[in-house]
Amino acid sequence: MTMSSGLPENFKHLEPYQGWAHSTEDGRMRQRLEATMDEITDYYRALLPEVNNIANHLQQWPLDAIPAAQKPLLFMALMFMETAMCVEFFHEPDVPEALGAEHIEIYAGRAEQLVNQSG
Amino acid sequence: MNSNARPFAALHPDIGTGPVSTMPAVDPAFFEKEREHIFRKMWINMILREEDLPNAGDYFVRDIEVLDVSVIVVRGDDGKLRAVHNVCPHRGNRLVREDGGNRKGFQCDFHGWVFDNQGELVFVTDEQRFHDLDKPNLGLAKVHLDTWRGFVYVNLEETPSQTLEASMADFNQDLKPFPFENMVLAGRYRYEAKANWKTTMNAFQESYHAAFVHKRSVQQCLEDDADPYLASHRIKLQPNGNQSISVHLPPHELTPTEMIAYGMGATFTQGGDADQAAIPGTAQEGIENWAFDLNIMFPFSRINVGAGWYYVDAFWPITHDRTVYELAFYFPIPTSAGAMISQEYSKIVLRDLSREDLFTNEVTHNALRSGAIKSIQLSDQEIAVRHQYEKVTEFCGTESAGDDHE
Ligand code: FES
Ligand SMILES: [Fe+2]
Repeated sequence: MTMSSGLPENFKHLEPYQGWAHSTEDGRMRQRLEATMDEITDYYRALLPEVNNIANHLQQWPLDAIPAAQKPLLFMALMFMETAMCVEFFHEPDVPEALGAEHIEIYAGRAEQLVNQSG
Repeated sequence: MNSNARPFAALHPDIGTGPVSTMPAVDPAFFEKEREHIFRKMWINMILREEDLPNAGDYFVRDIEVLDVSVIVVRGDDGKLRAVHNVCPHRGNRLVREDGGNRKGFQCDFHGWVFDNQGELVFVTDEQRFHDLDKPNLGLAKVHLDTWRGFVYVNLEETPSQTLEASMADFNQDLKPFPFENMVLAGRYRYEAKANWKTTMNAFQESYHAAFVHKRSVQQCLEDDADPYLASHRIKLQPNGNQSISVHLPPHELTPTEMIAYGMGATFTQGGDADQAAIPGTAQEGIENWAFDLNIMFPFSRINVGAGWYYVDAFWPITHDRTVYELAFYFPIPTSAGAMISQEYSKIVLRDLSREDLFTNEVTHNALRSGAIKSIQLSDQEIAVRHQYEKVTEFCGTESAGDDHE
């Protein structure tokens, strides 16, 4: 799930956030729900200026051929989208007045399968 | 308010404008009638695409709890897609316990009978001890299967009263041309709600609730003072219970994150007017600020199409007060990380927003069960809810089945 080998050169400064690099949507949602709003806000601020850079950087590989060492970057960008909901809409980690997350099951889409089957 | 505020009732004088009884939503005996008169008779969207089972031997299993059946959809060595009951004809064991995969055939784990991937019985263990086994007629029991635009449907009636093609005829112009084949599964979700299937579904048949239930999750779309309740301009109700409702969203300022997502693909809330070519199979051209169409196939599934995505969902009835909401979201095949990152935004918006709906539905269902109110009041914007109750009672009557026996 999380790579310990470090992030690619241009993204070294994001290494403190590697713990957020979950490979599945389910894992990312559950981590979001366990985090505090301070942690989420900190993560959101760190990633906001980097998501486009990450996308541009990863553009050089097709989805099913992203090297293992590069995947944490993708997962961190996907995790950013979870935290954006909290910061931009809900102002708390979970959805207020919502069906409890314990009543949801999340299954992988095609892209998630492609990324996680390769490399 | 002038009568232009209520354009839809006049088009459907037959379904009236009065209060609607809550009985069908809370009465367990009524649910039993729905099971026999509706659920057992309809074409059921399996939330499965033909291309999900591309190769001989690919199979998919779905339990349809309300009918106590488990159905295997399998592509045979002859290339044909079939549906069969997941029941061994020897003594009735459940044949397959996985939810899908690829197999040459199926072997029962009770006494080892073997069926090929066309459902035929091909091997009986210790066959010599059986008396006159009619092997050609002991294949897996067949279930009617048909496809519409690549979506796989089954029907559990002995002889379906209507073909799938006929039951979908209303959608031939409005929906059929949509480019489904250009998209793949981006995410799939399953939610368990403690509410009647209709109560659960009703919040997904109008936009009136958005200003309250979704005041947080789509707040940027709710700031147009001229249109605070996103009143729909297009609601089509069909005689067989099908419906199509167009949702529009006023132009809105994108949040920093939606800006990023929209820079790399379509988003859930950024509608089709945003410099996109007309999307076939949608009402985009006729509706200002069109966002998406909700296409409801009576009784409980939908194929909802937007600007560059679609999602299929179903409100699976389990018991009179339990529903499983299942949603599968499709986007263009992401060829790069950027597209995947962009799609993640819309997936999460829709996932979180559905939880807001389902919470309200559970609370509402409990409140209805209290019996405090005996009817609900529906505006012209909620005419699809009225239409659904009208159709359900057309099949099942307006009396509680419990009353019949008293
Ligand atoms: S029940 Fe299947 S082989 Fe006996
Ligand atoms: Fe809603």
